[in-house]
Amino acid sequence: MSRSSLWFSLFVLALPFTGVAFLIYETVGFDWSELNEAVWRTSLAVTLYVTIVSTVVSLVIGTWLARTVYMKRSLWLMSLLKWPMFVPHVAAAYLFYLLFSGGFPFYGWIEANERHHLVVIFTYVWKEVPFVFLMVVGTYGQLNHGYVDMAKTLQLKPLEQFKVAEWPFLIKPLLDSFWVLVAFISFAYEVPALLGVTYPELLGVLAYERLTTGLFLNAFESYAVALAWTLFIFSGVIASYALTAKRRRRIERGVRR
Amino acid sequence: MSRLLVACFVVFPFIGLFLTFPTSLTWDESILNTVAYVIVVGFVNVWLGMGTAWWLLFTESRWKSWVEWLTFLPLFIPVLASMFGMYIVLAQIGFIGTYTGVGLVLLVTTLPYSIRLAYNAMYVIGRPLLEQTLTLTPLTRIVFVLFPLMRESVRTIVLFSTVIVLSQFVLVQLIGAGLVPTVTTRLYQAYAGNDVSLALQHTWVLVSLPVLLYMGLDALFSIWIRLVKGRLQ
Repeated sequence: MSRSSLWFSLFVLALPFTGVAFLIYETVGFDWSELNEAVWRTSLAVTLYVTIVSTVVSLVIGTWLARTVYMKRSLWLMSLLKWPMFVPHVAAAYLFYLLFSGGFPFYGWIEANERHHLVVIFTYVWKEVPFVFLMVVGTYGQLNHGYVDMAKTLQLKPLEQFKVAEWPFLIKPLLDSFWVLVAFISFAYEVPALLGVTYPELLGVLAYERLTTGLFLNAFESYAVALAWTLFIFSGVIASYALTAKRRRRIERGVRR
Repeated sequence: MSRLLVACFVVFPFIGLFLTFPTSLTWDESILNTVAYVIVVGFVNVWLGMGTAWWLLFTESRWKSWVEWLTFLPLFIPVLASMFGMYIVLAQIGFIGTYTGVGLVLLVTTLPYSIRLAYNAMYVIGRPLLEQTLTLTPLTRIVFVLFPLMRESVRTIVLFSTVIVLSQFVLVQLIGAGLVPTVTTRLYQAYAGNDVSLALQHTWVLVSLPVLLYMGLDALFSIWIRLVKGRLQ
């Protein structure tokens, strides 16, 4: 059973890498200075802003909720947090669009399709907090409470207790979640296309539009951006995992004497 | 108080579902395609996710760390970016505009999550307990031990794959070349045409499908486990 499914999985999982290889092949000889347009530069800036704000806010709220649920055994909150997971991103985006597109006068100060992309960020935070919560709550479930008790016995301040007794164990799930969210949010189409604006557009929206308009004449620009962004994220993943490898290994295996 | 605020934040977007009356549901090709993709991709994800996780846990091989990385790294490749590359690959072999091509890329986007979920679940159940089933035939092992033990994980895998499949617009539009309609592609058309009632009808379908599937699986597993427990008496 496992061997046949492994081979089939390997075939499927090789496809994205083959895709990246073909992107490299297609962009050989591409004039990279073509990407030095104002439209791409502003797109990069707004993408970084939306991605970083959405990811960091989701990580902070998700971790705080996991900690609260763990400490206070709040089971009703745990069940409630599953709700957004049943809603596909595109449906969530449409629900936020309905609420913030002028239908509710109360929300007049925050609108869908405005240049600060606040509703895009709201939507991502609403969808990603339960994901972070799930990634972190498992770690809290396995946490040795002795560390927290020890920190309390030593009369450390609450922040210091968190720093020494919880934070080291959260590095791995938070690092995994961070890069999954960055990869997902930074180069997506569905949510920003519904809730964003026509200028500045997020990278995913702009790249898809450049690819599909004008008989694929600008396809190479989109391929180049997709490739550069993938390599940028890969470098970030490798660098952050390499930098934290020693510490994570120590947490996973313990100190050898 | 803070927990109550969080609860309000979680619940409040659902108000959008009741802002306008959706048009009455009509069964068309897009709904049938969507349901078919959800079921097929969900089933294949459970099969491949559990099989691959089993191999990673129980097989000693010098390729193991490579396979682990190969199952892990696609999570960090932006779906849309790899899709541009896969578009070129699939165009070479004539899969653009076909149901198989769309199904294949939907599998590519969901499988890494499923393998990780299945692996984590098996890791938590623990090797000693699972090792006892190694003497059983694969079918007996799956029916009487693995599925009942991994009830929650199977449901989560199906939920994740369903929600990811239902979220894909660009992927279906690009690889399906506009020839494979789904509820998601119809939602964008209704949105672009400013038809709020029709768009809301599609949103209802997109929200209801995962909920119904999750509840249906729960009922199925309850019956299944009752039957398995009945063998003990």
